[in-house]
Amino acid sequence: MSMKQAGGNRKPGSGAASGAGGSGGRQNLGRGRHSAKGPSAAVVSNGVYANMRMVHVLTSLVGTNCELKVKNGMVYDGVFKTYSPECDLVLDAANIKSPGPSVGLRQEDLVDSIIFKASDVVVVHFRDVDFNFARKDNFTDTAVGGRINGEHKEKDLEPWDGGRQQHMVSGSLESLDTDVSNGWDPNDMFKYNEEQYGIKSTYDSSLSTYTVALERDNSEEFLKREARAAQLAEEIEASSTYKSRVALEHDERSEEEKYTAVVRGEREQHTLNRENKYIPPGQRNREGMSWGAGRQNSPRLVQSSSGPPPPRPGLHDYTPSSGADQRVVNGGATSCPSPSSRYQSGPSPLPPRAATPTRPPSRPPSRPSRPPSHPSAHGSPAPISTIPSRRMSSEGPPRMSPKTQRTPRTHRVPPGSRVPPGVDFMPHNAPGEVPVPPATRSSSSGGTWSSVVSGAHRPRSPRQNSMGGASPGPPSHPSPQIGSAPVEPVTTPMSVSSPAASPATNMATTSSAEAKDSRVQATRQNSPTANEENMKPLESPSSISRPLSKGPPSMAPDHRKQIDNLKKFSADFRLQSSSNPDPQFQQMVTKPPRDTGEKSKQLPLDKGLEGSEEGPVVPARSNKPDSPGAPSPSLSSTLCPAPEQNRGPEVTSQGVQTSAPNFSGGPKPEDKEEDEADQMRKSTLNPNAHEFKPRVFTPQPKPATTPTPPRPQGQPSPSIVMQQPQQVYFPQMYPLTPVSPGVQKSIIWKSPAMYHVQMPHMTLSQSKPYRPVPNMPQQRSDQHHPQGTPTMMHPAAGPPIVAQSPAYSAQYFTCSPQQFTSQQLMPHYQSQAQHVFSPVIQGQARMMAPPTHGHPGQLVSSTTQYGEQTHTMYVSQGPMPQQYAHPNTTLHPQPSATPTGQSQQGVQHGGNHPAPSPVQQHQAAAAAQALHMGNQPQQQMYQALAPTPPSMTPGPNPQSPQGSFSSAQQAVYLHPQQMQHSYNPSHMAHMQQVSSTFRSPSLHSEYILYEQAHIQSGMVPSHHGNPGHPQMMLMATQQPGGPQPQLAQNALNPIPVSSTAHFSYLAHPQVQQHHQQQL
Amino acid sequence: MAAPGPGEYFSVGSHVSCLTCLGQQLQGEVVAFDYQSKMLTLKCAPSSGKANVSDVVLINLAYVSEVDIINDRTETPPPLASLNVSKLANRARSEKEDKLSQAYAISAGVSVEGQQLFQTIHKTIKDCKWQEKNILVMDDVVISPPYQVENCKGKEGSALSHVRKIVEKHFRDVESQKSVQRPQAQQTQKDSTLSS
Repeated sequence: MSMKQAGGNRKPGSGAASGAGGSGGRQNLGRGRHSAKGPSAAVVSNGVYANMRMVHVLTSLVGTNCELKVKNGMVYDGVFKTYSPECDLVLDAANIKSPGPSVGLRQEDLVDSIIFKASDVVVVHFRDVDFNFARKDNFTDTAVGGRINGEHKEKDLEPWDGGRQQHMVSGSLESLDTDVSNGWDPNDMFKYNEEQYGIKSTYDSSLSTYTVALERDNSEEFLKREARAAQLAEEIEASSTYKSRVALEHDERSEEEKYTAVVRGEREQHTLNRENKYIPPGQRNREGMSWGAGRQNSPRLVQSSSGPPPPRPGLHDYTPSSGADQRVVNGGATSCPSPSSRYQSGPSPLPPRAATPTRPPSRPPSRPSRPPSHPSAHGSPAPISTIPSRRMSSEGPPRMSPKTQRTPRTHRVPPGSRVPPGVDFMPHNAPGEVPVPPATRSSSSGGTWSSVVSGAHRPRSPRQNSMGGASPGPPSHPSPQIGSAPVEPVTTPMSVSSPAASPATNMATTSSAEAKDSRVQATRQNSPTANEENMKPLESPSSISRPLSKGPPSMAPDHRKQIDNLKKFSADFRLQSSSNPDPQFQQMVTKPPRDTGEKSKQLPLDKGLEGSEEGPVVPARSNKPDSPGAPSPSLSSTLCPAPEQNRGPEVTSQGVQTSAPNFSGGPKPEDKEEDEADQMRKSTLNPNAHEFKPRVFTPQPKPATTPTPPRPQGQPSPSIVMQQPQQVYFPQMYPLTPVSPGVQKSIIWKSPAMYHVQMPHMTLSQSKPYRPVPNMPQQRSDQHHPQGTPTMMHPAAGPPIVAQSPAYSAQYFTCSPQQFTSQQLMPHYQSQAQHVFSPVIQGQARMMAPPTHGHPGQLVSSTTQYGEQTHTMYVSQGPMPQQYAHPNTTLHPQPSATPTGQSQQGVQHGGNHPAPSPVQQHQAAAAAQALHMGNQPQQQMYQALAPTPPSMTPGPNPQSPQGSFSSAQQAVYLHPQQMQHSYNPSHMAHMQQVSSTFRSPSLHSEYILYEQAHIQSGMVPSHHGNPGHPQMMLMATQQPGGPQPQLAQNALNPIPVSSTAHFSYLAHPQVQQHHQQQL
Repeated sequence: MAAPGPGEYFSVGSHVSCLTCLGQQLQGEVVAFDYQSKMLTLKCAPSSGKANVSDVVLINLAYVSEVDIINDRTETPPPLASLNVSKLANRARSEKEDKLSQAYAISAGVSVEGQQLFQTIHKTIKDCKWQEKNILVMDDVVISPPYQVENCKGKEGSALSHVRKIVEKHFRDVESQKSVQRPQAQQTQKDSTLSS
C-alpha cells in the first residue's frame, strides 16, 4: 500500500518529485527510490554495512549506554547512536568518564554527539545488553525460555513428541489429511474406550431405554395398522400443506426474490413460467414455491392467452377486445345463467364480448354519465345479452373499463358505441345499485369512465352474481354492480357522494393522475376485466360448468403455482375441475363482483364453499395452507388473486402494467412465453394486451407513485403502501366505485393505458374463462389471479368492487349503509374517501372473492397474497398498510388499526345489524361476527359457514358467510401478513373487512386490493369448483343464476346493490354449502 | 599490537580471548567480525550478573596484542532476527534525554533526592523537566526543593493529586530501601531507578 501510495504520490509530482521532496509524499517517494536504488549499490559495497552480522549486532546495540576507550586511554561514556560503514561510532550525550568516583554529570561535560573514528577506538564496552529488546520475533526458544515470571532461570524446554502418545488416535498428521471419514465411528470409539480405559459402553442401538421396539408380527391387526400408517404417511406427504412446506424449504428463491425484489421480468417470468408450465390442478399444488406470482401470472397468462386477446382484438379496440373477452365470458355468464351458456362461453365469448357492452349498461344504470363511457367501453358488452351482458357487462365493463381506458386513448368512440349497451346495463345495475347514483355522481365526475368502470364492476358483480345466475347476471350484475357501486358508496358514507366523489376524484385524479391511475385502474380494470372474464366464465360457470372449468383451472394453476398447499385445493380443483369452472368462474365472477357482486357472491360462495372448506383448512392453513386446505381451487384462486394482487401491489404500477401486459400478452411474456403463446392462441387479446402493456407499464409506474402517497393517508399504514397505488387506483376505483362504470370510465379517462391494462385483464379473464372453458377455469382463475394483480385490480377496482360494493352497499345501505359506508367510507376516507369507496367496493369484492374461494381459496389467496402481497407489500407495502388499516377499520382484530376502520367496523356492525337487507345484515352480522370472531379466521369461517348454510337460501346468509369467509380469508391473508390479519379482524365484518381490505388496498394499493379481490373472487369460484362444488357451484351458480335474477331481485328487494351481493351470496351459499359439505 | 595475521579469521560462535593494547583482557563469544575494519564483536558474560542480558564488547583488533581462540564454533550461528529499528531509535533518544536531563539536574546543583525524584517521576510522566531546581511536571505542577509532597504546587486537580501520590510513594520507597541498605547518592539513584 505504502508503495502504491508512494507511487501514486510520485506520479502526481513525478516531474520534480525526485529532487524536490517538498511534500511528504515526495519524500516518501524519494525515500522509496533511494531505498530501492541506493541501498543495493552503496550499502552493500560499504565496509561494515556489508557485514550482516556486524550490522545486526551494532544495530541492536543502538540506544545503549557504553564506555568507549580510545587509543590514548580516555574513556568516553555515552549512548550509542549509530555507526558508519567505516565503523565510525557516534555517541550521544557523551562525556569523558573520569577515573575517580563520578561526582555527577555536569551539563557542560556532556557533548551532544561525538563521532569516533574507527581507527581511534580500541574497545567499546556495552553493558547489560538485551539482545531481545528490539527483536520482532519473540517466539524463539530463547525468548520463550526467558519468559518466566520473576524467575531468571533457564527454562527447560521439552521437545514435542508430535503426539506420539496418542498414536492410538491417529497414526500421524498425514492421516488427518488423508482421512476422509467424518470423525470416529462410534464403534471405534467404544472399542478404543474399552481397550484404553476399560469403559464398557451400554449403548443399545434399539434405544430400548427411550422407546419401545415395534413388535412386528403377521397378525391382521398389525398389517392393518401398518397399512394405515403407510396410508397416513402417504396422505400427509401428498398433502398440499406438506408439499407446500417442503417446497418452501426447497424454495431456492432468495428472500429478496420472494419479497423484496421488484422485478417485472420476474413476475412476468413467473407468470410466464406458470402459464407456460400450465399444470393440472392436481399438480399445481406441487408448484407451491412460485405460487404467488407464478400462479397468478400463469392464470393471467392463461386467461389472456385463452380468450381475452382474441376478444379484445375482435372487439372494438380495447374495450371491444376486453369486451369481447368479457362478452365471451359474459356470454358464458349471460348464457351462464344457464350452465350451457357458461359452457358456451367458449364460443359465446366472442359474442359476449361483443355483448360486453352489457357492462356499460350495468354501469350506465348506476351512472348515466358513465354509461356513455361504459358504452364505449362496454360497447361490446352491450352486444352481449343484458343479463349475460351484465355479467358480461360487469366483465365487459371491466374489460370495457380497460377497453374504455384503452379506448379513451384509442377507442373511446367504440366504447361509446358500447356505451349504449352499457347504459342499458347500467340501468340494470342502477336499479340494484341505488348506490349507483353516487356512482353516477362519480360517473359525472368520472363520466363515462366511471360508468365504464361501474360497468366493469357490475360485470364483475354480475359475474360474481353470475355465480348466482348468469342470465340474471345482467340484471343481477347490474344490480350487483349497482349494489357494488352503491355498496361502495354505502360502505363509505361516501356511498353516493363518495361514489361521485370517487368518480370525481377519480376523474379529477384521473385527469392528473388518471393517466397513471387510469392506467392502474385500467390495469385493475383490466384485471377486473380479466376477472370479469374470469367472472364471466365463473359466472357462466357459476351458472354453468364453464366457469368452473375455466375459472378453476386458471385458479388452480395460480394456486398451485402460488402454493403447494393448494394440493388439497388441487384435489379440490380436480373436484372442481368439473366444478372448478364454477369456482373459477365464480371467482372470476366474484372477482368482477369483488366490487359488489363478486364479493357478495364470491363471499357467499367462497365463504360457503371455501368458507366451509377453508374454515377447516383455514385454521390449519390459516396462512398459506388455508388455500390448500379445502378448496384447493378456491385456494389457488385466492392464492392466484392474492399473488396477482400482490403482484399488482408490489408492482403496483408495475403489477398493473405487468398485468396489463400479461393480459394483453405482456403478461405472457412476463409470466411465461407459454402463457403468452396460450393467450395468443386463445385470443388476440394478448396482442392487444401487449400493446396495452407498454401503456400499462408507463401508467403503472405513475399510478403507483401517485397513488401511494395519498393512500397512506386514506387507509392505515398497511393500505398506505398500497395506498399510493390505490390512490391511483382509487381514482380509477372511485370512478368505478361510484359507479362501477364510472370506475371504468375513470379508468378510461385516466388513460389509454388503463384501457390497455384492462384490456389485458379482460382478455386474460375472458381468454381464460372462455377459451379455457373447462380446463381454462383454473387457468383462468390462475390467469385471473396472475392477471389478478392486474385483472384483480381491475375486477377489484372496477366490477368486483362495484358488484360487491353494490351488494354490500345495498345491503349496507339497507342494512347498515352507515356501517358499511362508514366503514368503507372510513377506510376510503382515511385513505381517500372516494378512493376508499372504490377500494372498499373492490375490497369487498375481494373479500367476497376470498370467501368464495373459500377457506382453501382464502388460504391459497392468502398464501399467494402473502407471497405476492408480501411482495407487493414490499414493493408498495400497500397490502401491509391496508391490512393494518383494515384491522383498524375492523377494530375488532386490531382496534389500533385505523380508527376509521374501527369506526367502519362499528358502523358495519351497527349498520349491518340495522341493515335492512337481511342478507346484508347477515353478511354484516356475519362480518361483524366474523370480525368479532374474526380475529380467528376459523371462527369467522365457521360463523360464516353457519350463517351461510341457513342463509344459503337467502342470498344474505351466503353473503354473510362469504363475507365472513372473505373476511376470514382476508383474515387469513392478514394472518399470513399481519396486515391481512389486521384485515381479518377488521374484516371481521367480512364484508366490511373485505371492503376495508379492499378499501385499504384500494387506497393503499388498489392493485393489491383488486388483485386480492380478483384473487379472492377467483378463489371463490375456483373454490366452489374445486371443492367439487364446481358442479355444486354450478348448481349453486345456477341457483345463483336463478339468483342472478334473484340477485337482481334480491338486490332490488333488499337493495339493488345488495342484490348482487345476495346473488353472489346465494350462489356462494350453495357453494358454501357444498364447500362445507366437502369440508 | 600485532595485527591479525592473514587468514586469521573469527567465525561466529567461537570463543576467543583478547588482550588489548591497554592491557585489558577480554573474552567472549564472537558475534560478528568485520575484516576490513578489523572490528570484532564479542558477547561476554554480563558484568551485572543479570540473566537474559550480556555485555557486548566491540574490539578494534588493530589494538589487540593477543588473540586466542578458546574453542571454535560448534554450531552454525542462529539466523539473524529482524530488528525493530524504530524501537531502537526511540531507546537511543530516550536514553540521551535521560542523560541530558540528569546532567542538567546535576549541573544545576539539584540534590540527589531531587534527582532521584525526578527520575521516578520521569518514569511515570514523560512530560517533566527541570526548571532551575524545580521539577516542572506537565507544565502544571511545580515541585520545588526539598521536593517533598507538600512542595508540590500547582492548580488543584487530578494532576496535582497524581503527582503528589507519586512523590509520596517515591519517598516511601526510598525510606524502605534506606532501611535495608545505606546506599550512597549514586546507589540511591540506582535503587530508585530499579525500584521504578
